[in-house]
Amino acid sequence: MTGWHGRLLNVDLTSGRIWPEALPAELLQTYLGGRGLGVRLLRDYYQLDPFAAELPLIFAAGPLCGTAAPTAARLSVVSRSPLTGTIYDCSAGGRFAWRLKAAGYDALKIVGRSSSPVVLRVRPDGGKLLPAEKLWGEPIGTTVKALADHGSVAAIGPAGENRVLYANIMMGEGNSVGRGGLGAVMGGKNLKALTVSGEQKVAIVDRQRFDEARQDIIRLFKASPVIFGDLGIAEYGTPALVDLMAQRRMAPTENFRKTIFSAADHYSGPAIRKAYQPKNHGCYGCPIQCKKSMQDGTPLPEYETVNHFGALNGIDDLRSIVNSNNLCNQLGMDTISAAASISAWGEVNGRFPRAEEIGALLQAIARREGEGELLAQGAARLTRQLGRPELSMSVKGLELPAYDPRGAYGMALAYCTSNRGGCHLRAYPISHEILRKPVPTDRFDFAGKARMIKIAEDCNATIDSLVACKFSFFGASLEEYAELLAATTGVEYSPQSLKEIGERIYLTERYYNQQLGFSAEHDMLPERFFSEPGSSGDGIEVPPIERARFVEEREKYYRIRGLNERGEFNENYLERQP
Amino acid sequence: MIRQIERYAAKLHADGSARPDRTTLLARDDRLLCWGAEELLPLGKAVIERLNVISLVVAEPQLPFLELLLRRTDPATAELIPLDTETRTFLHDIPLVRKGEFSASDPQRLVELLGQRKGVLVEGVGIMATGSVTVEQAYINYSSVYHAIFVKTLYDLLKAPSPTREELALLRPLWEQLRLQPIEALTDDLQRGGLAGKAQVLSAMQQVGERTVALKLVDSFFGNISCRCGDQLYISQTGASLESLAGCIDQVPNDNSSTAGITASSELIAHRAIFRQTGAATILHGHPKFSVILSLLCEETACRIADCWKNCAKIRYLKDVPVVAGEIGAGGIAKNVPPVIGQEGVAVVYGHGVFAIGEEDFHQPLLAMVNLENWCREEYLRRLQSCCPQM
Ligand SMILES: [Zn+2]
Repeated sequence: MTGWHGRLLNVDLTSGRIWPEALPAELLQTYLGGRGLGVRLLRDYYQLDPFAAELPLIFAAGPLCGTAAPTAARLSVVSRSPLTGTIYDCSAGGRFAWRLKAAGYDALKIVGRSSSPVVLRVRPDGGKLLPAEKLWGEPIGTTVKALADHGSVAAIGPAGENRVLYANIMMGEGNSVGRGGLGAVMGGKNLKALTVSGEQKVAIVDRQRFDEARQDIIRLFKASPVIFGDLGIAEYGTPALVDLMAQRRMAPTENFRKTIFSAADHYSGPAIRKAYQPKNHGCYGCPIQCKKSMQDGTPLPEYETVNHFGALNGIDDLRSIVNSNNLCNQLGMDTISAAASISAWGEVNGRFPRAEEIGALLQAIARREGEGELLAQGAARLTRQLGRPELSMSVKGLELPAYDPRGAYGMALAYCTSNRGGCHLRAYPISHEILRKPVPTDRFDFAGKARMIKIAEDCNATIDSLVACKFSFFGASLEEYAELLAATTGVEYSPQSLKEIGERIYLTERYYNQQLGFSAEHDMLPERFFSEPGSSGDGIEVPPIERARFVEEREKYYRIRGLNERGEFNENYLERQP
Repeated sequence: MIRQIERYAAKLHADGSARPDRTTLLARDDRLLCWGAEELLPLGKAVIERLNVISLVVAEPQLPFLELLLRRTDPATAELIPLDTETRTFLHDIPLVRKGEFSASDPQRLVELLGQRKGVLVEGVGIMATGSVTVEQAYINYSSVYHAIFVKTLYDLLKAPSPTREELALLRPLWEQLRLQPIEALTDDLQRGGLAGKAQVLSAMQQVGERTVALKLVDSFFGNISCRCGDQLYISQTGASLESLAGCIDQVPNDNSSTAGITASSELIAHRAIFRQTGAATILHGHPKFSVILSLLCEETACRIADCWKNCAKIRYLKDVPVVAGEIGAGGIAKNVPPVIGQEGVAVVYGHGVFAIGEEDFHQPLLAMVNLENWCREEYLRRLQSCCPQM
């Protein structure tokens, strides 16, 4: 077997037992790695409570990780989300995935709960649990520094320890396993951090074929204005989107009451460049290097973060936004959910917090002190407790990111059909509705969107299993990645066969969610988007979404997926799956 | 969706790339929509139902390029490598499927290949191309494959072995067109004089965009146009049809104080470099076919450069017009075109297309492109006649 090692490391934190297990070639070829492998490995556990000790937390790399495949130094972390209650996966870059692969493992499966805080150290000769009482309570930076000698680090901060429902697992390089609160799952296991090190190489079956596919991809990156254009993400990072979203009048503002923020140019890509003269960096071996940091290496915020700590809370101060981003990174929690929870709370209170109040709120959330106790539970729970559930701008409990659904109807549908709740990345229709890749579509029209979303969800499930970065697909397609995969593993794949794998992964997740009680009524946007308009102007009309048309397209989506009108399976889907 | 289908069927006929009686478009929403030639529908249906795509075009080019290509291709050849850079970049190689390899009841081979590539060449049928997002995408992929076989077939005719009389007869309507119908220089009605103000710039760009497509100097999906105006640059968006630019032009400030132009054409970098180095006011970029074909002809015999389209450092000439190599986007075009385009106001990118500049408006670049293409058409015929005098 090449590409994969065929090896998983089991860790039982309750007993302290650590042992390797062979992963059959057939399983890996069918589910690839990353999200697909993790989701498959959860088949016997997904009904467990997110904080049950026996619930596995799975770190899974993919077959391309460790090769020179562009943007493939990533892994997925998979478990069940305490925030949404759904099956949950999140992909992250940095160096950790690459080091895990170099340690000789495709995946780690962590179960149980340690009686005291520990660090899991993984090396080619196996794993070891080290005491971590001294690190408990420490922020990410201190933790990573203390463990740097052991290799690449993934850690939780105070937010994860205190089970903030949107706590992240932070990679030492500043990348995060974000959104659904897997940091809280890790905290619940009393696992402060993992370290990985090794030097093992990933063999490639057909080097020439691999190099050709790689060159094809680099050429496509260069031909993509979003990636390597003068105004693209390699130059400005994702805040390049700030100006565009303002122009399209779809930047969520004041908890989605408006869709344009007049001071957005305070934190646009060019504004950040002017204020910080950023350095470029990025994930291991990635040619795009879209991450930007200050000269001292402190990561600068992404598009979602600047919008949510900016417009969504009515804040126009770049320093405050950068500070909020830093605090979230150090405390180990998700910037989108933290900012959106604060925003929802602000609307309930009739006043959005001022820039100078945000820092203390974030500290309080991570420690669950004062108002933080409520805010730590996310927008859906906090608005329900305050008697204003309609003010939670979330789907399945996951706070919506920075693309207003009234400005992109494919995005509106995709927020709802996403298996992990209101996430933009599952189908990423922004790619065609806004960024015109691979071809433009009409953002104010539902026509054809159901099948587009379905196909994109399948593609992205595959991408999350390879594991590659979504940004690659502003230029390349599964066509080139199928070549890389075939060249690496010697197993033939085509875009078509990869989409079939993605479809199986998506449907498996949907089936798990159905068993957990999710159905059509959860595939729904907050009422605001059907009854209140966005901020029209500049010749752009942003009306509320027509509910009947939305529901019609959702029904089409169910039919295309082979589900009934309730969005449910008519049979036990898993019975027929390998 | 049926509106989309009809729209792109009309385009395929208008641009002359498909025979109206041999065109089928299929698209899937929650059900399958079919349009066009009855005899191609069963095959189209059989294929699209087995693929995870949205749209499929099955059509036969108006002239028998494919037949000619197959005659001159070794029967063991499984794929065609496009000579033009745009197709090569986006489609890589194009699989060839022979008659015996499939039928409407057994389309497995086609399904397999279309599961791997965006378009295939099918003997006895024509071109099959898919789209995974829109109907337009299948149209674009069809157009790319068509462009690729047009360029390759005609290029090959100038190479040994010289075409037979019978082979030449297959393309007789084309030769007649080249002899008798030069492209008309329809530029008189275009806006004249310094373009000032946003509204004027936008309407001039739309006008020249429509005209460039109407004169067949570019397929409707490709090409790009820009205009400099004060401290702003207006440029067509990536993936915009030049014939319908309304709402598809980005305004990009020269000082990069806004990144809203992230959706601008991938050639923004090249356009900016051209403006900087030449002082021009307008740029028009198209893919006129015979300029592309002739740009591929190279007389060098001892040259060791491989991948000429990106690696050739020489400047060659078509008439007086410089030809340079360079990859699209952030590749070599932005480096190689600006230094040479000032000489004649027009330059050719090897195997790709033509850039032309104007000092004030779009008359000059459009005229330059028409003149160059007409010259290339004549030159092509001359060369063809010199290798097959019986023509
Ligand atoms: Zn071009």
